[in-house]
Amino acid sequence: MTNRAPIQKNLCDSSMTESASSSWRVPATGAAGVMLFGFGGLLPAYLASDFTLKVANEGLLLGMLALSVAFLMSEAGLVALGVASVYGSAGYLFAIGMSEWGLTPTIAVVFAFFALIAYSGVLGALIVRTNPLAFMMLTLAAGEMVSHAVMLEAVHDYTGGADGLVVNFKGAILGVQAADFVNPRYFWPIGWTAVWLIGVTLWGVARSRLGATLRAVRQNEERMRFSGFNTYLPRVIAYVLVNAVAAVAGLLHVLNTGFVSPESLGLGVSTNALVAALMGGTAGSIGPLAGGLIFAFAQDEFGARGATQLLTGVAIVLFIVVLPRGVVGSVVAVLRRIAPGLVWLRGKA
Amino acid sequence: MIALLIANSLALASLLIMLASGLALMYGLRDVINFGHGALYMLGAYLGYTVAQVSGFWLALVIVPILLAVVGMVLELLVLRPLKARSHIEVALVTFGLGIILGQIIIFIYGGVARSVEAPTMLSGSLTLLGLSYPVYRVFLILMGLGSCALLAIWLRFTRSGLFVRAVSQDPSVARMMGINSDRLSLMVTSLSAAFAGIAGVLAGPYLSIDPGMDVVMIVDCLIIVVIGGTGSIAGAIVAALLFGFVQVAGSVFLPNVAALVPYVLLMVVLLIAPGGIGRGRVLS
Repeated sequence: MTNRAPIQKNLCDSSMTESASSSWRVPATGAAGVMLFGFGGLLPAYLASDFTLKVANEGLLLGMLALSVAFLMSEAGLVALGVASVYGSAGYLFAIGMSEWGLTPTIAVVFAFFALIAYSGVLGALIVRTNPLAFMMLTLAAGEMVSHAVMLEAVHDYTGGADGLVVNFKGAILGVQAADFVNPRYFWPIGWTAVWLIGVTLWGVARSRLGATLRAVRQNEERMRFSGFNTYLPRVIAYVLVNAVAAVAGLLHVLNTGFVSPESLGLGVSTNALVAALMGGTAGSIGPLAGGLIFAFAQDEFGARGATQLLTGVAIVLFIVVLPRGVVGSVVAVLRRIAPGLVWLRGKA
Repeated sequence: MIALLIANSLALASLLIMLASGLALMYGLRDVINFGHGALYMLGAYLGYTVAQVSGFWLALVIVPILLAVVGMVLELLVLRPLKARSHIEVALVTFGLGIILGQIIIFIYGGVARSVEAPTMLSGSLTLLGLSYPVYRVFLILMGLGSCALLAIWLRFTRSGLFVRAVSQDPSVARMMGINSDRLSLMVTSLSAAFAGIAGVLAGPYLSIDPGMDVVMIVDCLIIVVIGGTGSIAGAIVAALLFGFVQVAGSVFLPNVAALVPYVLLMVVLLIAPGGIGRGRVLS
């Protein structure tokens, strides 16, 4: 703790020094969070229609990807355009692990997860050394590389080429039966729990020493290096962390849909995740998740008219130029202006 | 065999040089990588297709760059200049979004099918040189690529505006202190890069196919080249484009099964050895 104090004093956002100043706010926020978690996990599963839940589940998964993109953006100042390559690969690795190597579903999940951790560790070690703009270009290139790799003739027997793979499995993963993952009514609480765990974890990391270091490096890498900090390793760790989130989302996706296709690792999914993050607002954990849900329902509304991609382009421009804080961030900013007593909202969103 | 390989890679590199050097020039002045450059190239290709249908290939090669230069001016005046106070990453994301919009509008107008443009009769057929028969159109492509390289070098080396561009690329704040108007230069460079993207698009017509995915393929290739060349270095971009063209063509000949991955391997190897790329690009803070 002794060497932690100066960092927090000098480098953190002001929100860190202000929060937790009042004793009742922390338990109140905690209780509200637990209630929101409980009701949010159960109520839609009883009230909403199957179709709505299906769209909402897609929104949850996209929200997870958006969380991953947003964390890297707001903490490290890096934009990842290749998040779908990990998301889609998770499904492929899971399917190949079971069908080709005869792994049990649980082992296949673990295998896919750690294979992707290793991949993103190696890739991250290579690309976080470059400047943020080059990083953005490189993540795009790496994503395209994976897309090309899946389509290669040499691996057609494994990946199914352009047709993708149908993924059937029997048995259970962590006590959840295969059929339950496919049922939108059962999947919602699973996805909801996962997204909360991820959101709280990322929020915690953002408030930890690692988060403070990342933000400081984002602002002035050179000064941090001169001050004796390792500026390289934290960014590699952050990159691996966000890819772990993408891998979890990808695994849940393949378990939910029972299908994996080249589209799931294409640039389109990465762009959607970026838009969802920008839409909700990249700071905090609630914004990206809300962005994912908004995006999924908006896509359901407008997608039938074939305008999804056009609208994602418009959304990117619009949100960066007009609403850089996203919907949730802007709502919080307005609330704070009209009701300054709600200043504790800052820590949440 | 080797001569054919080199000729083919030069033909591909010619297109890449026109696009990547435009990206590097814009980066030098505005610190922004235009992620919509692939869409400009695609716009050039489709406009070239339309003009070539009406009035022939040669006129397309003249008209399309002019139209694209106007698009470049619009990009500079309506996007890059108003957003110049924003972070470079945000502006890059805006160009990425604009690229998606432009690409989708083109697909909306022309539909999702691939188109092809016939080379003019003067450039069709093949040429026998040193006992090798080689398509005339590719020779033309190489000449155009080398020609634009030479013009670019002459402009940057020997003209006043070229000197200013080099000065701003090297140190924007000092250049501005010396009284260089970087906004005016940027207008020129952005429209020039867009015009080059237009030329590349028209030239790509008879050589590659014109299809809805061409923008993404090209921007990814160009980004790889810009990173390999050292972000912002024009000479580096040209060398990297030549290297990239050679590696891709050689890959498709010698390693046809994994040819699609060869450029990425090149990228990773370069990053491993020299994270800043091979050229001396300006290091961004």
